Amino acid sequence: MDAVSLIRSGQETETPWRFRLDELGWRDMVTALGQDTLPFAGLWCDGADVHALFMPSPTQPLAATLALENGRYPALSPARAVSSLYERMAYDLYGVEAMWAVDVRPLVDHEVWSATAPLDASPGLAGGRKGQISFQPSETLLAAGGVTGGVGPATGGTETSLHVAMAVSGETIVAAETVSGYAHRGLAARWRNSRLEDACRLSGRVVAGCSVAHQAAFSQAVEAACGSKVGPETALIRVVLMELERILLHLHTLAGLARGAGALLVASRCAWFREKLLALSAPVIGSRLLMDHCVPGGTRLREATGLGDLCTSLAKLGDEIYPGLATLWQTYPALSVRLSGVGPVDAALLDRVGLDGPVARAAGRDCDGRRTQRVYQSLWRLTAGRQGGTAEDRALILLDEIGESLRMLGEAGPRLGLTAGGRVDLSPDAGEGLGMAEGPWGTVLYWVRLHAGRVAQVFVHDPAPAALMVFEAALPGQDLADLGLLRQSLGVNAAALDG
Amino acid sequence: MGLIRAVFDAAFRQGGTRLKPVGPRWPLLLFHIDTGGCGGCGMELEALASGPYDMEGAGFGFVQSPRTADVLLVTGALTRTMAPVVDAAWQAMPKPKGVICVGGCAVDGGYFPENYSVLGGLDRKAAIDLQIPGCPPSPQQVLDGLCSLFRQRVRGAGGPQAEGSSSTSS
Repeated sequence: MDAVSLIRSGQETETPWRFRLDELGWRDMVTALGQDTLPFAGLWCDGADVHALFMPSPTQPLAATLALENGRYPALSPARAVSSLYERMAYDLYGVEAMWAVDVRPLVDHEVWSATAPLDASPGLAGGRKGQISFQPSETLLAAGGVTGGVGPATGGTETSLHVAMAVSGETIVAAETVSGYAHRGLAARWRNSRLEDACRLSGRVVAGCSVAHQAAFSQAVEAACGSKVGPETALIRVVLMELERILLHLHTLAGLARGAGALLVASRCAWFREKLLALSAPVIGSRLLMDHCVPGGTRLREATGLGDLCTSLAKLGDEIYPGLATLWQTYPALSVRLSGVGPVDAALLDRVGLDGPVARAAGRDCDGRRTQRVYQSLWRLTAGRQGGTAEDRALILLDEIGESLRMLGEAGPRLGLTAGGRVDLSPDAGEGLGMAEGPWGTVLYWVRLHAGRVAQVFVHDPAPAALMVFEAALPGQDLADLGLLRQSLGVNAAALDG
Repeated sequence: MGLIRAVFDAAFRQGGTRLKPVGPRWPLLLFHIDTGGCGGCGMELEALASGPYDMEGAGFGFVQSPRTADVLLVTGALTRTMAPVVDAAWQAMPKPKGVICVGGCAVDGGYFPENYSVLGGLDRKAAIDLQIPGCPPSPQQVLDGLCSLFRQRVRGAGGPQAEGSSSTSS
């Protein structure tokens, strides 16, 4: 029996796509997953149960639930490598143990918190460590000679806080792994029993640069839990915001890549184009990083009726500047050569950890959540097409996507006209819902449980955990000086990872 | 953490003993630490450093080591894991030195007040020389804030000025 059938054979719950399994059923599911390609979206705990979410099709979720027995459950990491990060997070937050897990090291709790297992009904004592944290290197790193170098968490740069511990031979990285948790703000605890508005604000601050994707997915999840759906105009406004966010973050990433590769002129041009777009958009939308504009039931913009004209203006600005920027990027001396040797990523690795988004699209994978979303019909068209999987391919995919998103804005502008979108009145009581958006780095997915009109629990799927695993796998053999380029080109972000 | 005792130095202010001249030839060097936030303030600092704001012309620059920094520029809500890192960076900085908090999180935690993993900003834990609020503050607001240290006003920097000041997130 395949994994989907095994999950569906479980006991039905109040949510039609979530089934409760017993421990034997869960174990059978893990065994079946070993021979199955069912896409895995995440695992989380709520103190009493552990839940695993899968996506049998891009629009159809399927979840399995298992009641914890003595605080333990069979791990999914033997069948889905990325589950390891979710299992380690669940242990740090709730103290629940994943049996037969492939990695049981702490992920975010480094014994400096004011309580261990802080989300458990009876949290443990405070961690006793004073001063900077220490960490336990994996056996792979020890076998490669132990830690002989490290970068972060404070580099003076503007990236989020992450430590990369490495075994280095000369200038070449032999083995490496990351130490995370520096940016853990306790989002899961803050979401518990929060008001919808507060929870939405938090979702916009999981990771900057992807705020629209997070808040759109959160809002969709809340709307689904309430049994409501926003109208096509509001959905189109959200699409416009998401595409604008994609353009802005991709330009930010490309500027960083160009700077890291020594092409300062290209970096400056990307940053300048981004500022030109922001100069037009921020006064109409109301912010530069597009936070707090997607809210449950609708959207909230400073001048909503000006959005249609704004899209037309942005597309026109794109027509003026984008072709020159694309040519500059492609012809700038040595930029392609510098990036082409950095971080080749095997498509099989991406499949194994389940990373989608532009990183997968640059390695020959044809995956884009926009393809299946109704609101993108007649807007989206294929942007994949590169196979190499190097930092150069990823940069060119980002560049292509900027052009495509500018085109989409140009088409969306006349459709929006003077509409302000409107709001749907929600009656949040109790229920579960799922929301999904194609963020700049891949699928962002929210599972939200409402109770008594408030948010009871939230689970977020972000590309960050899978991107981290790809990053760690791509580091060996790389030049030490390319670490920053590799990190940027894979979209590794500690804020999204740590939660 | 035995939190940093920011010895504010009059050298950075007009009217005091100016140990460190200020101006295009003598930039005030900033060492940035993200102490646990969403990364939005870092993105805006990046825009300030690389966008058309002429930050260096106004007399400021970012450095990659605290040993060469004049000012510790903190963004993020100060997690318990990052607190010792901030302390170590502060200890490594030469005197005179100061602390600037950029963004609401760095000041008082903002949307991330104190909990099991977060200390909730540097306010009341250290002497802060300058607070630049906002979630996040725009690059122009950050630059204006930095210039206010010297009671300077930024001379007409062209395009970005107007758009920056009108575009802070809620």
